[in-house]
Amino acid sequence: MKENMDERLRDLLCDQAALGLTEEEMRELAEFSQGAEIDAQSFELTAAAIALADTQIDEPLPAHLEARILADADKHFAAFKQEADIHESIHDQTTRTFQYAEPKPRGSFLNWLGWAAAAAACIALATNIYLTRGNSGQIAGPTATPTPAVQEKLTPAQQRDQLIAAATDVTRAEWSKGNMPELASVSGDVVWSDAKQTGYLKLKGLPVNDANKEAYQLWIFDETQSDKTPIDGGVFNVTADGEVVIPIDAKLRARNPKAFAITIEQPGGVVVSDRKKVAGLAPVKPNQA
Amino acid sequence: MTQTILQKIARGDQGAVQDCLKSYGGLVWSLARRMLRNTEDAEDAVQEIFLDVWKNAGRFDPGQASETTFIAMIARRRLIDRIRHVQRRISADSIEDILAEPSVRSDKVMQTNVEAREAAKAMDQLRPEQRQVLQLSIVHGLSHQEIADTTGMPLGTVKTHARRGILQVREILGLGDAPSTQEAAV
Repeated sequence: MKENMDERLRDLLCDQAALGLTEEEMRELAEFSQGAEIDAQSFELTAAAIALADTQIDEPLPAHLEARILADADKHFAAFKQEADIHESIHDQTTRTFQYAEPKPRGSFLNWLGWAAAAAACIALATNIYLTRGNSGQIAGPTATPTPAVQEKLTPAQQRDQLIAAATDVTRAEWSKGNMPELASVSGDVVWSDAKQTGYLKLKGLPVNDANKEAYQLWIFDETQSDKTPIDGGVFNVTADGEVVIPIDAKLRARNPKAFAITIEQPGGVVVSDRKKVAGLAPVKPNQA
Repeated sequence: MTQTILQKIARGDQGAVQDCLKSYGGLVWSLARRMLRNTEDAEDAVQEIFLDVWKNAGRFDPGQASETTFIAMIARRRLIDRIRHVQRRISADSIEDILAEPSVRSDKVMQTNVEAREAAKAMDQLRPEQRQVLQLSIVHGLSHQEIADTTGMPLGTVKTHARRGILQVREILGLGDAPSTQEAAV
C-alpha cells in the first residue's frame, strides 16, 4: 500500500515538474505529501535543467521590458527596506519576538509558501506594534492620510488607504465568522484591486496563532478558478492582539473576486485546503464589487 | 566568501538586480518565448517571474543547484501556471513547427551551465521516445494529451515516458535520493 502511494507521489511530482497538475491531481498530491520526506523541488530542478539543455538564448531581454522589471524592483526593494527598518525598530523597542516557520533545507514544495508567510507575519506584527504604541506617532494610523514625509515608508495600513484612494476598481468585503464558533468575533474587511493585483486584509478578533503548529491562509474565490480550487492568497501569522492589516499575496492573477476565506492550516500553508477550519469568510456583495 | 547574485538580492542589495537581469534576463525571456509563444503573454510572464525571483532569492541553496537552474525553475513555475490557468493552447501549426525544429543543439544553448550540460548528456542516454516526450512537454510546454495527439502515442505511454525520463535525468544529476525506497517518509 505504502509503496503504491510512494510511486503515485513520484508520478505526481514528475507530472507537476513537466507541465503542472490538474485540480484533482493537486488535491491528490497534497494528500500524499502529508508527512512525506521526498524532495519535491528536485523534480522541478530536474525539469529546469532539461529545459536549459535545450534553450537557446537568441535575443536579449527587450529594453522596455527590462525597464518594467526595474520599476518593479524599485517597489520591491523599497518595501523590503521598509520591512527591515520596521523590524529593526521593533527589535529595539520590544522584547516581543517574531517567529515564523523556518523552511527545511531541501523540503517539500509547501515550504515555498513560508517566504510569503514570513513577510506577511512581519508586516502584521510591525503594524500591530506601531498601532498600539500610543502616541509615539511617527507613523500614522490606518485611517490617516499619508503625508509626503512618510510616503517612502508606508505601513500596510497606509498602503491599504492609498490603494483605496488611488484605485478605481476596489472591491471591498466584510469579514464574518467561518465554521469555527470560537472565532465568531472576527471582523474587519478585505479590499482588492484587479487592476493593481493588490489587496489588504484588515482583521480584528483573529487570535494569535502558534506559528510552529499552524498558520492562517487566505483564499480568493474568483472567476478564473473553480470554487474547489480558489487562489492561494498567502499564508500569515497573527502575532499580537488587536487590529492587523495584512497584504494579500495572490499566487495567481485574480479577477473579479466573489469571496475571500481564511483557513487555519499547517505552518507554511497547503496547496488545497480541506476547509475543516474556516476562521473567516468575506463574501463580496454585488454593491461592494 | 563571495556572495552570489541571489544571495545579494536576498540581503536587499538592489545593485544586484542589474547583474541579475544581465545574467539571466535573456534566459528567462527565451524560456518564456518558447513556452508561451505569444509576445504579450511572455512579457507579462517575465515581469512576474522576476518579481518571484526577488521574493524567493533567499531560498536559493547553492549546494543544491546553480543559480541558473534555480532561476529557470522559478520561471517554469510561473510559465506552467500561465499555460494551465490561461488555458492557452498551442495551435496545430505551432506543434508542427515544434516537431520540425532541429534537435541539434547550438553553441548558444545554455550548456555553459553545469546542470544543463549534465542534463543534455542525460537526455542523450534516454530512449528516443522518452527524449521526444520530455522535449515536447518540458521545453515546448505541450500537455501530455497534446503530445499524445501529435505523436500518436497512447496517453498512458506518453506519461510513462515523461515520468521515467525525468526520474532518470534526476538520478544522473544527483538531485534524487538514489534508492527510491528512501524517498518517502518512514
